[in-house]
Amino acid sequence: MAEAVGIALSEHFESVEQQREATTLGMWAWLLTELLLFAGLFLIALILRIQHPQSVTLATTHLKFWIGAANTAVLICSSFTMSGAIACSRLGWRGPMLHCMLATASLGTLFLVLKGYEYYTDYVEHMIPFLDRPYALAADPATRLFVDVYFVTTALHGLHLMTGVSILLVLTRMAARPHFLATHQNRIEIYGLYWHFIDLIWIIVFPVLYVLNR
Amino acid sequence: MTADEKRALWRQMRVPLLGFIALLGLLAINVALGAIVNFRGSWVVEACVTVCMVGVVLLLSMDVREASPLIRLFSGLGFFWVLIMFTMTLTDYLWR
Repeated sequence: MAEAVGIALSEHFESVEQQREATTLGMWAWLLTELLLFAGLFLIALILRIQHPQSVTLATTHLKFWIGAANTAVLICSSFTMSGAIACSRLGWRGPMLHCMLATASLGTLFLVLKGYEYYTDYVEHMIPFLDRPYALAADPATRLFVDVYFVTTALHGLHLMTGVSILLVLTRMAARPHFLATHQNRIEIYGLYWHFIDLIWIIVFPVLYVLNR
Repeated sequence: MTADEKRALWRQMRVPLLGFIALLGLLAINVALGAIVNFRGSWVVEACVTVCMVGVVLLLSMDVREASPLIRLFSGLGFFWVLIMFTMTLTDYLWR
């Protein structure tokens, strides 16, 4: 069942260990720039909560709390299946690894479907202020600031997730080939960091937008 | 699956499984606070639960606790920069 596991040494590295360390560090460097991007949005949401507490509470009650909670659980499950894929890749179990990767992609897709349904209900309930149609909370202009931040943050996260699912499907196709684990096992680990990071960001998005002082 | 393979899988999945259970438990607390229990200052508990969840993902899922010192420093610095940004901005907004 188990295949050989390893990393093919690229010519610009002195050793496999150096290559593994450099790729992990490179991924972390990118993830930190992403963290700062999202942190700016979280900060804006918190400032709005400080400056317009009643308006934000009013806007928050119109968000779909249970869809947000279900989506958080879905992403936590997807992180677990991604950890399963990484574990199987370390053990050289290609078949179970591929199944875990496909399960992760499916859960990511489920998240996007639920998010799409949430946006649809927002549309039906006139909760999208930037469209050319009446806005349900127009009487309280400050709510619009928070709802705008909600859409920017969740859409940006959704974009990251959509990219993540696409890359994961490509990686799954590549990993299905023989000898992939013998030469590129670290790609699964590096990608796993990205997926866990998407989960981490949503774990912060959920309380900041949906839960705090609801 | 042989007994050795089961043991190998358990060794690899024990920590992610613990993290998974911890995350679902912490999420349940935040959901309960948001949906049912709403008291003055509940945001403090909600924020603490969120910080714990972020810690679990970083340490158990992203393997920071087993990473090299350089990567641990790097990941810590990122959150330190965020802390600086939040502290300076909120200092301005809260005490202006």
